[in-house]
Amino acid sequence: MLRGSSIAFGYELDIRAIADDRFHSGVPGGDVILPFVDAVMTGTASDQRLARNAIVDALGPESLVDAAGVFANFQMMNRVAEGTGIPVPGAAIERESEMVEALGLNSFYKH
Amino acid sequence: MFDFVNAPLPIRGDIPATLRNEWGHLAAPGATLSSRERIAVAAVSRSSVDGGGVPASGLDPSIDDLATTLMADPGAVDEALVRSTAAAVGDPTTVEVIGIVSRLSAVDGFHMALAVPIEALPDPVEGDPTRDITPDLKRRRTHVPMPPGPIPVSLDLAPSEGIAMEDLAGPLYMTYSDMAHDDFARSPGLNRSQMELISSRTSHRNGCFY
Repeated sequence: MLRGSSIAFGYELDIRAIADDRFHSGVPGGDVILPFVDAVMTGTASDQRLARNAIVDALGPESLVDAAGVFANFQMMNRVAEGTGIPVPGAAIERESEMVEALGLNSFYKH
Repeated sequence: MFDFVNAPLPIRGDIPATLRNEWGHLAAPGATLSSRERIAVAAVSRSSVDGGGVPASGLDPSIDDLATTLMADPGAVDEALVRSTAAAVGDPTTVEVIGIVSRLSAVDGFHMALAVPIEALPDPVEGDPTRDITPDLKRRRTHVPMPPGPIPVSLDLAPSEGIAMEDLAGPLYMTYSDMAHDDFARSPGLNRSQMELISSRTSHRNGCFY
């Protein structure tokens, strides 16, 4: 999905940025979006304040609300997926093998 | 309730309404659990991450194990844990617990992301469980019985849980109509690539393959 939307917007996506901060995502605002997630999940109150301010400064206050909403939604979706054990189709894993490798997702795979 | 008077910036109007709706779902009797039991599940799962110690819910201990692990460390949830809960309390109750905890993680997560104090859990209401359980579902190499299909159907054993999940997902993320467009963008706000950057990073940090 990220790949599809990046193509639609004409971004040169580097998917490795999802897992590794040495890479730049190619998505405008990615340099404030990714640290925001990290700060909310594991950062101090100061980290979180800085991360929120960075999004507001770079992308606007409405974007911070959107970012909080998307983060919240995937906190939910991840738990539904892990709780129910919904499988990822083998064909999808094969099709996305390059991404699975790049992001080190094999260590997450339980089926 | 969910008025966000202390929020650092204006909150899109559909979000507070959606969160109030979710509190209504949480407080209503579920497929197998009473209102009081559902709120107890929410309380025990919430306490696993707020540093205040984890009180027992008063329900079967396997429910507490699943609720606290799923809230605090979703990547640690595996088939053995879920199946042990299901063996103790049944598949429908297990699905109900997964639904309650998952949605609470969204509600609380939204508040945490904006540094807004989390909302007090709703008061319980009277009423018996609905027993609205989808018959004849089976496991499909999954932890719980479900129909074939993507993640929106995964809670269909207790249909009200799946409905509540979808009620939250549209306003917080995108509606199905929005998802039809790779170039979807909120204006003002984030575009789809920016949203999916957040979803991907969140999933990665949660250790979620899906």
